[in-house]
Amino acid sequence: MSEPVTVRLTVNGVAHEGRCEPRKLLVDFIREDLGLTGTHVGCEHGICGACTVLINGEAARSCLMLAVQANGAEIATVEGLATGGTLHPLQEAFREHHGLQCGFCTPGMLMTALDLLRVNPQPTEAEIREGISAVLCRCTGYHGIVKAVEAAAKVLVPAKRV
Amino acid sequence: MISRSPSLIGARVTRVEDARLLTGRGRYVADLDAPGAVHVAFVRSPHAAAHVGRIDVTRALAEPGVVACLTAADLAPLARPIRAESRTRGYRATDLGALASGVVRHQGEAVAAVVAESRYVAEDAADLVGVDWEPLPAVTDPRAAAAAGPFVHADLGTNVILEREFRTGEVEPAFRAATLVVADRFRFHRHAAIAMENRACLAAWDTGRGDLTLHSTTQIPGMIRDALADILDLPGHRIRVVAPDVGGGFGMKTILYPEEVAVAAIARRLGRPVKWIGDRREDLLTSSQAWDEQVDAELAVDGVGHILGLRATVLCDVGAYSMYPWTASIEAVQVISFLPGPYRVPAYRGAVQAVATNKAPMGPYRGVGRPVSAFVVEGLLDRAARRLQLDPGEIRRRNFVRPDEAPYRSASGVVWDTATFAECLERACRIADYEGLRRQQQEARAAGRSFGIGIASYVELTGVGSAIPASPGADISTGTEGATVRVDASGTVTATFAIASQGQGHETTLAQVVAGTLGARLGDVRVVHGDTAAGPIGSGTYASRTAVIAGGAAVRAAEAVRDKALVIAAHLLEASASDLDVADGVISVRGAGDRRVTLREVARAAYAAGRRLPHGLEPGLEATRYYDPYFGTASGATHIAVVEIDRAVAAVRLHRYVIAEDCGRVINPLVVEGQTIGGLAQGVGAALLEEVVYDGGGQLLTGTLLDYLVPMATDMPPITVEHLDRPSPSTLGGFRGVGEGGTIGAPAAIANAVSDALAPLGIEITELPITPERLFQLLAVC
Amino acid sequence: MKPPKFDYHAPTTVDEAITLLSRYGDDAKLLAGGQSLMPLLNFRLARPAALIDLNRVEGLAGIREVDGQVRFGAMTRQRAIEFSPVVARRLPLLVEATKLVGHLPIRSRGTIGGSIAHADPAAEYPAVLAALDGEVVVRGPRGERVVKPADFFQTYLTTTLGRDEVLTEVRLPAMDGKAGWAFEEFSRRHGDFALVGIAAIVAGDGARCTMARLATAGAGPVPVRLRAAERILESQGLGDAAIEAAAARAAEIVEPDSDLHASAAYRKNLTRVLTERAVRRAVTRLGGR
Repeated sequence: MSEPVTVRLTVNGVAHEGRCEPRKLLVDFIREDLGLTGTHVGCEHGICGACTVLINGEAARSCLMLAVQANGAEIATVEGLATGGTLHPLQEAFREHHGLQCGFCTPGMLMTALDLLRVNPQPTEAEIREGISAVLCRCTGYHGIVKAVEAAAKVLVPAKRV
Repeated sequence: MISRSPSLIGARVTRVEDARLLTGRGRYVADLDAPGAVHVAFVRSPHAAAHVGRIDVTRALAEPGVVACLTAADLAPLARPIRAESRTRGYRATDLGALASGVVRHQGEAVAAVVAESRYVAEDAADLVGVDWEPLPAVTDPRAAAAAGPFVHADLGTNVILEREFRTGEVEPAFRAATLVVADRFRFHRHAAIAMENRACLAAWDTGRGDLTLHSTTQIPGMIRDALADILDLPGHRIRVVAPDVGGGFGMKTILYPEEVAVAAIARRLGRPVKWIGDRREDLLTSSQAWDEQVDAELAVDGVGHILGLRATVLCDVGAYSMYPWTASIEAVQVISFLPGPYRVPAYRGAVQAVATNKAPMGPYRGVGRPVSAFVVEGLLDRAARRLQLDPGEIRRRNFVRPDEAPYRSASGVVWDTATFAECLERACRIADYEGLRRQQQEARAAGRSFGIGIASYVELTGVGSAIPASPGADISTGTEGATVRVDASGTVTATFAIASQGQGHETTLAQVVAGTLGARLGDVRVVHGDTAAGPIGSGTYASRTAVIAGGAAVRAAEAVRDKALVIAAHLLEASASDLDVADGVISVRGAGDRRVTLREVARAAYAAGRRLPHGLEPGLEATRYYDPYFGTASGATHIAVVEIDRAVAAVRLHRYVIAEDCGRVINPLVVEGQTIGGLAQGVGAALLEEVVYDGGGQLLTGTLLDYLVPMATDMPPITVEHLDRPSPSTLGGFRGVGEGGTIGAPAAIANAVSDALAPLGIEITELPITPERLFQLLAVC
Repeated sequence: MKPPKFDYHAPTTVDEAITLLSRYGDDAKLLAGGQSLMPLLNFRLARPAALIDLNRVEGLAGIREVDGQVRFGAMTRQRAIEFSPVVARRLPLLVEATKLVGHLPIRSRGTIGGSIAHADPAAEYPAVLAALDGEVVVRGPRGERVVKPADFFQTYLTTTLGRDEVLTEVRLPAMDGKAGWAFEEFSRRHGDFALVGIAAIVAGDGARCTMARLATAGAGPVPVRLRAAERILESQGLGDAAIEAAAARAAEIVEPDSDLHASAAYRKNLTRVLTERAVRRAVTRLGGR
């Protein structure tokens, strides 16, 4: 009912358990209960995309989902991208091509681009623009982001073949 | 001669900020942890104007988890109203309480603050606060409001908060002598900044020490600290204001907002940390808005297109309050200050009225007034060119202030230190292959397509020093910044500034300036900013000033430290300081590279003192320097927009975009390009998508991001940016500001391109944004 | 912008969901993909006493071909439809429409049943349902009924779905492999709701049009089958004049409203232009690929 519920989920490969009201948004659970503040809250109505995470491998708005709905899910957030202090090639490309300024949209942008490259490993520029149009960035004019995703696609595709 | 590491200034280095921001390790206000923090939700007015009667908080207080529910009466003893004073004659200040008492003047104004254990509970309880609203007639049409009541502020007896006029030369004779006069009424609709991070603050009151720490999403920590000292009646040194990582500002976060005062006062009253994380609805309702003007303008030219005179009457809808520190004058007066553009205008009259209405207050937003000035003057020039059958590039060439005329005092009294305007135009035309575009246009027209090319040239004053206040008449100082450069005993450098960053990359660019000047390795320089407790006095980041003013202070402080380091090194090396080179953290004797010391060794000597320092030299290796560029410097550009219009569905497609700009000496091309293209995107939004809409009752109709439309990746064209790289002769380091230019030129260039595309139909754009609906209406009457 | 309190239920069967709906009367909301309902909750524009989450109901998601129909469990995600080989083969119009539903992260959660039950007149799926003359399956305490689109959509955000009923399945007839199709829409930005959208399917034999199906999104309070325009194509063929006449007729049929983004007159104009473009593009796909 409206009483607190137990939520068990995996975030970036680590199992977590917490208790919260059923109305608690997944993004607030990730940020407040799990302390992973890399995922940002920008609009809470599904438009800006700052809160985008991967849920069972697919990009989705964590502001439009209740934490309780994520019970049993595997979630990936921006904190899980770099491994052992080495940036993920997508992160590296964002740095190289100035794909971020204030950094607020960046976590959602990265997770969205990751999903895009998974379903379409060699996107055209138009497809990249369409894919990242899911996330609003107010700083970059998207120029550096498009270049970064293009560059990352080049790096990631051969890597996958190995 | 002393060599430095000058190659660092101008180098395309990746940003030091990125490592944390890319890995989710940035720390924005909402991310900050404060033990025992409670959350605020504000009870906000659903009405544009209303008397506030009894406020019943009993049900809210009964809600489990609610800590307090406060109204204006509770906060009055703790905080004075915010009041933006100005020396400008005829200006009328407005009082803005942390919470409204008696009257609310725009939808969303807060009347009560609910404090609870979580934001969820605070919102639940805010819903339970009963307010006796007595709605008042809403003032929404600025033209009617300028003429008669009702008055937004009854005590003022008028809605006209400010009137200002610039007059140069003989205007009426110029118009009588003209071969051609072009005139129009231009309308630039209201906009919002939409920083991706909403406004937020966290206040902590230390009851033991009696001091306040406010973390806020502000661009101006220094000014907030100074203002809070007055408003909260606290000594300045008891207040620390910190702007941590901030998710975009664009001018909107350069205001002292009532929430910052409220949260600080509540923290003091409760003795607990208090957090307010504004949401998008609050942002759209209460963050400052911008650029809401109607401009009646006329341009007089002779038979070959020389400007003889310009006159304009501007009506500026400034919303409900005159905001601190800028006052309502900043946007209004900028429009008439920059209408003459980069042109010789021998006779000019520009008059503006700033009119209060029951809408969210107007504040500075990227470009401040100048996107509107450029839209108007560039639109008039194109109209004149069309009538005279001149190419739009040619009419500009004939009117630009020439390089040899600089320094040039513009018709509104602004001084341009250099005038590279024609060069920007030629460069932009070359990059765009302007002649080729015109041929493409002819082919398109022959095929029945609407293809247009729009040029806009502008100049802005950046790095504004103390000679001209950033906001006319405002009672604040904006012309200086400081820098402290300190080499510690380990040889690493900390450079501290009072500016704040909202994504501009100052931790990288200012480090480049310091390292390049000092001769240190870039990785050894750490920039600290955005914390009033950390360093020199200053105000913050706004008005395209940081590279110029903080950059200049950085040059000075780094030079002072370098000079002292050389004296110490000369002592250690038993050489003359003038024979030493410093680069990459190593000081060596010129021509004898094995005789060298590292900066680290010099620093150890500086702090060890004793015999290792020259006799009488003060120990330590740090310097604080301030810089005032006095006038500031001109940043200019030419934008070329290429559009194609799908007439059947009334849609504008941006086909290509070119910018040639003079931003002085480039510190980091990566960052400059990012600033320019990012600014351009906001100009694209202004031209085609974004509009804040209120209905006649003052209700906001664009209260979601589905209705207020900011550009997506799919809305942006391919872009080419080139820099002229002409160091400013009037600023230290030769830097010019580059934060706003992209936004200033784009609305004008796009409007001109659309008018150019539709010229065969006789359509000239007078209203922005060019929404499909507006374009449909224009095409329907053809 | 935090949701108000509600009772939360996650039934595992449709019957359980129906029982819960009956218990709460008017005061419960079904939660499917949440891409429309969650914003309403976050804005506190919806304040149901209970939220009945269909995401744990077994067997409510999936795509299968039965008797010339493609049947979608109501909880089938838009994303699953976008990448489904069956849908690509049998319902290419639906794939094209799906790519216009918001953005991929929205489609990861959004469902076909949720979109149709929400009945936003500017949404793509109701238009496709109308153009294909599919049907929805609805279950309530009194059993199951199969409803045609004309009997389902009533007005803005309103359907004939009873307060104790659950939309369980969407059935779309597989398209004729030789038919041409197109979904044309105009929106302010990519992924925004359509100001107007047109779903078109045509089948033909040379210049003769053997079948035309046209339906609107955004051109009125419910999706509209443009039957009079279809008849023009079916009687006059797929030549320029017929297409233009059909498009002109389409604009006459619709009765759009004005809102913040578009006037009724502009929407009528869009209906004409997009009908013409949709049919022309559909014609280019005639004969299979």
